[in-house]
Amino acid sequence: MERMPSWIRLHLAALRALLVLTAVTGVIYPLAVTGVAQALFTGQANGSLVEKDGKVVGSALIGQSFEGHREYFQSRPSAAGDGYDMLSTAASNLGPEDVVDVLPVPGAKDDEGDPDEGRQSLLTQVCARSKAIGELEGVSGARPYCTSDGVGAVLKVFPAVGAPTRAVSVNQACPSRPFVAEYQGVRVECGRPGEDYAAGRTVPVRGNVSDVEVPADAVTASGSGLDPHISLAYAELQARRVAEERGVDVGRVRQLIGEHTTGRALGFMGEPAVNVLELNLALDKE
Amino acid sequence: MGWIFVASLVIALALVHKPLGDYIHRVYTTTKHNGVERFLYRLVGVQPDAEQKWGVYARGVLAFSVISLLALYGLQRLQDKLFLSLGFAPVPDHIAWNTAVSFVTNTNWQAYSGESTMGHLVQMSGLAVQNFVSAAVGMAVAIALVRGFARRGSDTLGNFWVDLVRGTIRVLLPLAFVGALVLVAGGLVQNFVGPHEITALTGGPQNLTGGPVASQEVIKELGTNGGGFYNTNSAHPFENATSWTNWFEIFLILLIPFALPRTFGKMVGQPRQGYAILAVMGIIALAGITLTNVFELGGDATVPQAVGAAMEGKDVRFGVANSATFAAATTLTSTGAVNSFHDSYTPIGGMMTLFNMMLGEVAPGGVGAGLYGMLVLAVITVFVAGLMVGRTPEYLGKKIGSREIKLASMYFLVTPILVLAGTAVAMGNEAGLAAMLNSGPHGFSEILYAFTSASNNNGSAFGGVTVNTPWYDVALGLCMLLGRFLPIIFVLALAGSLARQKPAPESAGTLPTHRPQFVGMVVGVTLILVALTFLPALALGPLAEGLLS
Amino acid sequence: MTTQLVEAPARTPGQKKNGKIGDGLLDPNQMLRSLPDALRKLNPVTLWRNPVMLIVEIGAAFTTVLAVLDPSFFAWATVVWLWLTVVFANLAEAVAEGRGKAQAATLRKAKTDTMARKQSGELVPAPELRQGDIVVVEAGEVIPGDGDVIEGIASVDESAITGESAPVIRESGGDRSAVTGGTKVLSDKITVQITQKPGESFIDRMIALVEGANRQKTPNEIALNILLAALTIIFLVATVTMQPLAIWAKGQNPGIPDSLALTGDGVTGIVLISLLVCLIPTTIGALLSAIGIAGMDRLVQRNVLAMSGRAVEAAGDVSTLLLDKTGTITLGNRQASEFVPVAGVSEMELARAAQLSSLADETPEGRSIVVYAKTAYGLREREPGELAHADWVAFTAQTRMSGVNLDGKQVRKGAATAVMKWVRDHGGHPTDEVGDIVDGISGSGGTPLVVAEKGRVLGVIHLKDVVKAGMRERFDEMRRMGIRTVMITGDNPLTARAIADEAGVDDFLAEATPEDKLALIRKEQEGGRLVAMTGDGTNDAPALAQSDVGVAMNTGTSAAKEAGNMVDLDSDPTKLIEIVEIGKQLLITRGALTTFSIANDIAKYFAIIPAMFAAVYPGLDALNVMRLASPQSAILSAVVFNALVIVALIPLALRGVRYRPSSASKLLSRNLYVYGLGGIVAPFIGIKVIDLLVQFLPGMS
Repeated sequence: MERMPSWIRLHLAALRALLVLTAVTGVIYPLAVTGVAQALFTGQANGSLVEKDGKVVGSALIGQSFEGHREYFQSRPSAAGDGYDMLSTAASNLGPEDVVDVLPVPGAKDDEGDPDEGRQSLLTQVCARSKAIGELEGVSGARPYCTSDGVGAVLKVFPAVGAPTRAVSVNQACPSRPFVAEYQGVRVECGRPGEDYAAGRTVPVRGNVSDVEVPADAVTASGSGLDPHISLAYAELQARRVAEERGVDVGRVRQLIGEHTTGRALGFMGEPAVNVLELNLALDKE
Repeated sequence: MGWIFVASLVIALALVHKPLGDYIHRVYTTTKHNGVERFLYRLVGVQPDAEQKWGVYARGVLAFSVISLLALYGLQRLQDKLFLSLGFAPVPDHIAWNTAVSFVTNTNWQAYSGESTMGHLVQMSGLAVQNFVSAAVGMAVAIALVRGFARRGSDTLGNFWVDLVRGTIRVLLPLAFVGALVLVAGGLVQNFVGPHEITALTGGPQNLTGGPVASQEVIKELGTNGGGFYNTNSAHPFENATSWTNWFEIFLILLIPFALPRTFGKMVGQPRQGYAILAVMGIIALAGITLTNVFELGGDATVPQAVGAAMEGKDVRFGVANSATFAAATTLTSTGAVNSFHDSYTPIGGMMTLFNMMLGEVAPGGVGAGLYGMLVLAVITVFVAGLMVGRTPEYLGKKIGSREIKLASMYFLVTPILVLAGTAVAMGNEAGLAAMLNSGPHGFSEILYAFTSASNNNGSAFGGVTVNTPWYDVALGLCMLLGRFLPIIFVLALAGSLARQKPAPESAGTLPTHRPQFVGMVVGVTLILVALTFLPALALGPLAEGLLS
Repeated sequence: MTTQLVEAPARTPGQKKNGKIGDGLLDPNQMLRSLPDALRKLNPVTLWRNPVMLIVEIGAAFTTVLAVLDPSFFAWATVVWLWLTVVFANLAEAVAEGRGKAQAATLRKAKTDTMARKQSGELVPAPELRQGDIVVVEAGEVIPGDGDVIEGIASVDESAITGESAPVIRESGGDRSAVTGGTKVLSDKITVQITQKPGESFIDRMIALVEGANRQKTPNEIALNILLAALTIIFLVATVTMQPLAIWAKGQNPGIPDSLALTGDGVTGIVLISLLVCLIPTTIGALLSAIGIAGMDRLVQRNVLAMSGRAVEAAGDVSTLLLDKTGTITLGNRQASEFVPVAGVSEMELARAAQLSSLADETPEGRSIVVYAKTAYGLREREPGELAHADWVAFTAQTRMSGVNLDGKQVRKGAATAVMKWVRDHGGHPTDEVGDIVDGISGSGGTPLVVAEKGRVLGVIHLKDVVKAGMRERFDEMRRMGIRTVMITGDNPLTARAIADEAGVDDFLAEATPEDKLALIRKEQEGGRLVAMTGDGTNDAPALAQSDVGVAMNTGTSAAKEAGNMVDLDSDPTKLIEIVEIGKQLLITRGALTTFSIANDIAKYFAIIPAMFAAVYPGLDALNVMRLASPQSAILSAVVFNALVIVALIPLALRGVRYRPSSASKLLSRNLYVYGLGGIVAPFIGIKVIDLLVQFLPGMS
């Protein structure tokens, strides 16, 4: 021991220290926490599972997709895998100025040989969701910066500096009609798939929509991709459709919404939220 | 409501920082070893009462970190051969290297996706262990620097092994144990269940995956680490179940960094000096949190305007305001946990998270790292301010001569150079550019963010960038490694040089370093130096995006 | 006081009376005279001592090449101003050195080709003298080198060194034995043992010092240089790394045409260099060495020679001042304050006798008795010549009394024991009363002088130390600056306390021996304090050497001058206070200009960043808060401002930031407002004003 060079002794001490601390913080500690947690908070420690007819149908904390099921309240859009996939949780990570689509070129193939799907910008995704939800709930899906056909209302103006000589509504593939006819005296063209518009100046057009009926959380993907909640406004919007589909009184549905709304903790933390899975479960039990 | 949320955090921290700071002071100054510790020292084979010179102390830090790095790398590469692997394959070499570096350096950058890469054993006995010890190393280095200020004419700084063990066993472990149970009560998972499929309400399949989440979540926040059990980190409902666990996690993030100034004040025998440092941290932190909230709530960008709120990448139970507060807290400390995705923030709101990190993680910064970073800034401020009162600058009676200013300058140079050089290299080569998700200035912000986060040992991501490519894993790994250990060496050398000095007594001619005047100066110097260093980069990224129209 | 050999240019006599140097230092002629020097300093070999300016020079050279390859008005204008930046920096240093050179030139005149006569009679040229050689100097001859008088006494004209025209006495033994080479013996003949090594005479060192030759960087200057280097590295990295980002940003916007500042290859070289030069701390980098030289120079103007810059800096840090009582705190001598007659003698009678005995006494004490007799008793002052038959008895060390024999009357005054003995010798019997009076005066800290007639004691003159006017205020000032004052005196503690209380010093050391002094200094230093003191005697040498700032009096021994790190040519112990102020002023000036320099950068960013990138990202034009006319004029204005601010600050660098003794906190506030806040605001205004002019130049839109 004493004959070893000091640097080896130092690293051996470091190794022993790591092993000892691993035993304490990496084995004893988590096991002790698990033991106490399982004893005191069994439900929470195991994932706050909810059951229907004695079978586990999910966790009260993890959102589920109800897409295509008109009789259920819909969750928020999700970027986790194909939606609410707990094995690949993710957010969209698209930026706030992500407004220009890459239009799919008809007939072209991507690298894997599938038909070219282009790329939807975050703005177009929002517009498309808003339009779809508006149609589903029978209200207007119009939003600022969105065209009536549910894409981002964005122009590319040429040249990038100076008086415009050409304007293109880049997110509206030809032959659709551009959302405005003219921009500063220049006729607006529709977007031609495959053409490179990078040289132009990007001009999002706000439009004059003042009444937005589809709430914010309905058109945006959550951070976790597993958001179990929707806003009260979005739940209210869906109440009529769910009641119609299920043939129950809207008042009863609203009452259930109230019962499954979590207010702000202590009155100031977070936002009021409606738990979609629990609400739908309660509807099923009616 | 968002403001009451911030105010309640301020009040809670104000209440606990003193008792906790005093407790940490006792932990590091007592000469007694308890039975468990004596047993541990025997196992490790070190003399707990042997005082170390700065070089020995630094070699201890480096040796422990090298061994930790190798061990964590090995554990990831061999996880399929061990138990509790959940059937996952060995972690690919570049991701394993990046993750090992990232956890040992207290960065906890997530190049991996927790739920699909790491088995329970790696999470619990590899990653979580580093969450503890890397924080304890940070605290040890900070305490060593404080001893440099406190000691008179001494050439030793304490014993690294003792500081490491005490920080882990006496400070972090008890807090983590209590905190973990609180989080479980709030809904966090704590079991050993792997991924399993159930039938969802609509009849389709749904995967659920558990694990020892709460025990790891608590130390991830408490130790300002930030590597999530799951990919979406603290946005994931199993990591952050309710609006109040969200509050509690922010509280845990800020808890130790804001208590350490009190410890510092006590150790140098002048609590008011500690309050001055606390005030600097508090002012910058509050400004950072406030501005992040203002810009996010303002929602000034095309998509948030279209949506009506900056809700993209945020969960409903937290809302915009509390997400922004979490984002500011995690970037102001070197935590890097996220409960919402900064990539989708408004340009200027996102810039705030960047700027918070660019401050060098000092307000209040990581556990330990924040205090020593802030003290180095105070030394630089004292140097310029001290000249203006007509004396050779001194801080706490210790003269700031050429050796001290050299070490402080080198400390200060490391991160900006790593950030800017790293970003420039990435922007100048194909491998770097290929990873961008967004285009235009936002794409650039993503890369700038990645290097800022890695070099400052923050670990949060702007997302977007596909960073688990070999190029990024290696480049960011190097940034994390250099960004952590070069400053530590400089800090310990500075501590050694300060400890040797005999302090000069205070007089009316001494620059008072506990008054609002000095607090204001440190704040000013910090902000101006950072702004001057990073303004060109910020102009081409978030500013260009935010001032688009 | 005001006549001086070292006549600084543009300095009017009387300026230093109040200890403040006035303005007018920046004589345009002097700038012109220094210009050739400034150009010579462009040589990179000399410039490399100043890394900040070296980078500017490299940048200027690089842009020159670029301008030659691709000439435009903007390019050449920028190139010219970048070169001017370097020239201005050199000019600052050259002007500072120029003032020293002028002083050195006059000093050199004193250093004539003297021949030395050795004891053996052999004549050798003065430069060949070695340590230990013994030379003889007679009236009218110049002393060939520094040394100590080992035999004889002479009056010496030292005006060549001190500027003081009145001759001084130099004699062997004691504290007035040191002579300086280059001074002239006026009377008598002395034998001098040479103490200097060849080429290291006092005058040589003085010349070297004022010329700033082989000027060593001081510790604080080194530390500041490190900080400036670090800042330079940061800004270098910030500008260099900007290039790939700029190229990429340009590539993302293919529709934006190339501009003067930004092309597909990134930011153009000239603009990039301009940004770099504007950001690195050129202002303080340019003025740093000038500040140091000027600090030494300010000392020289007060007739203090610092042997190293380190000592000047240490002066700013002093926290304990050891001051000799006599000459510093009190007037050099005691003064009559009371006549105490013995029983049976009237006060008037005593006063008359006291006056009579002192008429021929030219010592300050003697004069003070005559003055007191006149003011308190209305006794007319008589000239010694009026009393024709008077036979004056001078004071000698043996008799320790003086007096007069006039018309058969003998009057003596002097030390109590001596006069009493004289009285007894002449058949008198002094009463105990006299002893009581004497003890009473001694006990209160005064000095008793007994006055007697033949055989009879008349009374006692009470001589008192008189504290110089204004000392209490100065010590209060020192206290506010955080400096503790300690009075050193050989008096007994009682006397010492009385004077200490009156003068308002913080502490005193009574019955001080040289060992006590040394011990006190060590004790203070042990506590981390820096100590300054003055001294002149050989026995002060150890304490002078031990103290951090040791000011030797020029009248003192060479041992004392060797031991100290400053020499006061006026031999005025109160100088110490001014020296401390100059030391502080030096550090403050450095700190203030550093702050100013860094604060300037904010405005420059606001000028240059939008100029570079607003074309690609039009939104960035919002950062152009000064609304500068065009990218070209913005960049050029920033560069011009950056260069002009150096010239504008040269006077400040030479004069030093105004210093008023006050607490650190107040000082800091004031300097922060002026140089911090001012440093942020000034360039916004300056750049805007320059832009208003520059925009009319060709090629600026």
